[in-house]
Amino acid sequence: MGYSRREALTLAAGILAGGSLAACGGGGGDAGGDISKEAVKLRFTWWGSDARHKRTQQAIDLFTKKYPNITVSGEFKEWNGYWDSLATTVAANDAPDIIQMDELYLASYAERGALLDLGAATKHLKTDGIDPAALDTGKVDGKQYAIPTGVAAYAIVANTTILDQYKIPLPDDATWTWDDLKRIGADVSKASGGKVTGVQSWGFDTGGLNIWARQAGATLYDAAGKVAIPPAVLAGFWQYLLDLAKQGIAPAPSVTVERAGAPLDQSGTATNTSAFGAWWTNQLPSLSTASGQSLKLLRLPGNGQPAAAQSPYYKPSMFWSVSSRSRQPAEAALFVDFLLNTTEAGDVLQTDRGVPSNSTVRAAVVPKLAANDKAAADYVSALKVGAAPRVTPNGASSVEAILKRHSEEVLFERQTPQKAAESFIAELQKEIDAA
Amino acid sequence: MSALGELRRLGASRAGQAHQRDNKAAFLFLLPWFAGLLLITAGPVAASFVLGFTDYNLLQPPEFNGLENIQRMLTDERLHHSLAVTFTYVLISVPLQLAAALGLAMLLDRGLRGLAFYRSAFYLPSLLGSSVAIAVLWRQIFGAEGLFNQLLGLFGVSARGWISDPDTALSTLIVLNVWTFGAPMVIFLAGLRQIPVMYYEAASVDGAGRWTQFRKITLPLLSPIIFFNLVLQIIHAFQSFTQAFVVSGGTGGPSDSTMFYTLYLYQRGFHNFDMGYASALAWLLLIIIAAFTAVNFWAAKRWVFYDD
Repeated sequence: MGYSRREALTLAAGILAGGSLAACGGGGGDAGGDISKEAVKLRFTWWGSDARHKRTQQAIDLFTKKYPNITVSGEFKEWNGYWDSLATTVAANDAPDIIQMDELYLASYAERGALLDLGAATKHLKTDGIDPAALDTGKVDGKQYAIPTGVAAYAIVANTTILDQYKIPLPDDATWTWDDLKRIGADVSKASGGKVTGVQSWGFDTGGLNIWARQAGATLYDAAGKVAIPPAVLAGFWQYLLDLAKQGIAPAPSVTVERAGAPLDQSGTATNTSAFGAWWTNQLPSLSTASGQSLKLLRLPGNGQPAAAQSPYYKPSMFWSVSSRSRQPAEAALFVDFLLNTTEAGDVLQTDRGVPSNSTVRAAVVPKLAANDKAAADYVSALKVGAAPRVTPNGASSVEAILKRHSEEVLFERQTPQKAAESFIAELQKEIDAA
Repeated sequence: MSALGELRRLGASRAGQAHQRDNKAAFLFLLPWFAGLLLITAGPVAASFVLGFTDYNLLQPPEFNGLENIQRMLTDERLHHSLAVTFTYVLISVPLQLAAALGLAMLLDRGLRGLAFYRSAFYLPSLLGSSVAIAVLWRQIFGAEGLFNQLLGLFGVSARGWISDPDTALSTLIVLNVWTFGAPMVIFLAGLRQIPVMYYEAASVDGAGRWTQFRKITLPLLSPIIFFNLVLQIIHAFQSFTQAFVVSGGTGGPSDSTMFYTLYLYQRGFHNFDMGYASALAWLLLIIIAAFTAVNFWAAKRWVFYDD
């Protein structure tokens, strides 16, 4: 009978038991201690695609060959289930030792004491090969709770096969504006007779929103972690998406919503049904594999304002962190060091978790990359970026769910962009205040 | 006489001893269930009651915050919305489901050949209906490029994403629930078998038509069964979770149109680290279901007819 009351309560029992354990259990081992000579078992969890699971398992095998007394068991999931299961395992005092962390959740876990301060683990985990600005993105309240695996940037992925087919020239991404994207997108929709839409709608992740805000000289959050985006700027963001849908430049809202909830390989870009789409650079290889056509990364259109020049930023694609209750923090730190700082691991992992943040690894890996990985790496290194946005505040980890719902309200015209903007800001602020 | 009486007493006491032995055995066999009840059900129920008065966030020890969670419920617009969605779902899908179940049960009751096969075939969706696999299938059928649209395409109706459109998403879940009419149907079928054929024979001799027979014989005699199914299915529908979770990808979307109460509770607890509030919400659901059941029992006095 589905999710019965009993199952729900079983879960609750586990959580409660775990909660009280967590309350009195305290920390695990000593992160600065020596590496054990005895047999050690580590648990390591991450989310991702099949390609990532294979690469990661290869890296694990290399590590355990080097340190035969340490076994690492991988627990991998897809994005949505990952966070539910991480919350419950941490609550039940059963967290994996090494945790792949995202910017959205970093503060929520760190401020609640679930992550180890890696500053205490420098004996085994070196960070001197990593750019200080990138390292800072893993700090919460001045402590290094997480280390970025690599960086990615937001980009427009253009399908040049489609553009060639309809004899539409590739826009110059140094000068183009949002209006250009609209115009060219409309050309594609018209030329294909609706089979291909010019643009795949976005508005379901914070990357697009952040850049829109930064182009207007604003930010999503201020330094203190309050929601700071002006309602008019946010309304403009939604008005643009609504225009795309209403003018047939982007697919009908129900198609957009369906794709937004589907895996990457069912997106408009991956199925060659949209000529332009907004993505993170590290998604290019997976998109290319799925699409089979020629995809090119373009810089985002501008709005003609001076702030736009500084609007791109490096997003730490994801982080490594260690559970604060790990019984083997020293060995866990050693493992993270291996993933982060060795070219052996870098050769296997390549740019799947972003362009490697360690400069030595990056220099060794990039020349060997396949064409699409290399295109992503080149795009990232050529990009002129401003300072990264503030880490998502504690309590705002559900920002993308709130964003998605409001985008849907706008696309289905249940709320005006202006009303949606006010409602989004109020709701997000309430979540932050409650945490 | 006395010998016989002695014998009887002996028999009785032997039976008594056997009875006691049986009781012990029964208790022993029930022990795992009792242990489960106490540890897995009763304990957590009590715990969630306590947690309902705390700010428990999963990662840190809970602290009492008095009636704050209850105050929050009063002003939580998304909660009110999820209640509206859930009530709509329950009040539409349960009557439709029971009507379908009764209709089919009556058809099957008329002595179809291969009854066992049809009974199983119609019962199957109930076994599968709240499973993840069926919810995934539902997503495919009612997707923008799904089977349902292809079918409509044959009649020239233009395609739309039934599940990804907030105007139709809840309807697809209602259809899913109605489709799982097998369980109440089997119970109806058993109930129909209990109604003596002579009532119908007598009625038709008196000139009563099909409809009159249904209204004057079937419905009253079946009313305890209808009542039983009604109570059960309402409780079940209030607790629906899997369907909405899988069909909407855990979001309750598009734009909260499938945000069932249980899904909202789950999101607060596990996505927003808001387990104290979620525990309080779980108790509110218990109270709502209890209230519905109580009203049902109260109203039952007026329409449920007990033969004996």
